[in-house]
Amino acid sequence: MPLWFARGLRRGVVTTRYPARPDSSAALLPAPPAFRPRQLTRQTADRLIAVCPSTALSRQDSVLVFDAGACTACGRCAEAAPHAVTSSGEFELAATARSALVKKIPLLGEAR
Amino acid sequence: MSPGVNGGRRGTGAGPASQDEAEVARQLRDKIAAQFGRSLHIRTLDTGSCAVCEQEIRLLTAPHYDLHRLGFFFTPAPRHADLLLVTGPMIRAFDVAARKTYEAMPGPKVVVATGACALGGVYPPDPFVHGQVGEVLPVDVWIPGCPPSPLALLYGLGVAVGRLAEKTPGLTFIADQGPSGGEA
Repeated sequence: MPLWFARGLRRGVVTTRYPARPDSSAALLPAPPAFRPRQLTRQTADRLIAVCPSTALSRQDSVLVFDAGACTACGRCAEAAPHAVTSSGEFELAATARSALVKKIPLLGEAR
Repeated sequence: MSPGVNGGRRGTGAGPASQDEAEVARQLRDKIAAQFGRSLHIRTLDTGSCAVCEQEIRLLTAPHYDLHRLGFFFTPAPRHADLLLVTGPMIRAFDVAARKTYEAMPGPKVVVATGACALGGVYPPDPFVHGQVGEVLPVDVWIPGCPPSPLALLYGLGVAVGRLAEKTPGLTFIADQGPSGGEA
């Protein structure tokens, strides 16, 4: 007997409808960090750069340069400074230009 | 014709040479998007990756993601491929093979760099690796992640064929702050 057919009807479709509809598992994925500029002093920024295992973080005078393309979403920066860094929850990051992935985060109390 | 859909080698600083050229480029892009709109064959190329990107790519064919419902298929031969999905930091020993693979693909073709290694985040250039795929191949779409999840790959493929709009230029990676400036 086609029991699998009845089970399929009962359980429904397992395939995600992702590009058309959001996927429920997207929130569980590791995501690159998002920064809180009001908590981000120069000292904190330098600490984040020191814990980053890839080349995602660097500092140019008064801005923290975050390269989302280089980020491995390891979460070490969020662990080192939980008040200044959270998860962005963003996974739709594909870019047609490499430079579009490099973002500048202003630091606290610095001229921009 | 230009190597890729989006002209990956074009400098970012200089704008289009003229209005006509921009119009021709737009028409060409639309034509290619229409050609790629229904069915597209993907060839994967591992240039020294740790194979976790490959695991995620393989997951695309699992029932949950079911890549084929969107008209994407994997092919074992570059001669049948429209899209080259490149992983790894592009080791120098692979230069000839990478170029030959790219040249074997019929045009129009798209190159997608996949994962933080391919984007130059993990390995600095040294005598053994180029450090990023863009050094050897004209990359059209960059998919970040270590590894990029199957959802991120699906989104990247959608961007590569022009079905999904690119969000990255609008992202700031600055968290929303409450009135107190976030919990201290």
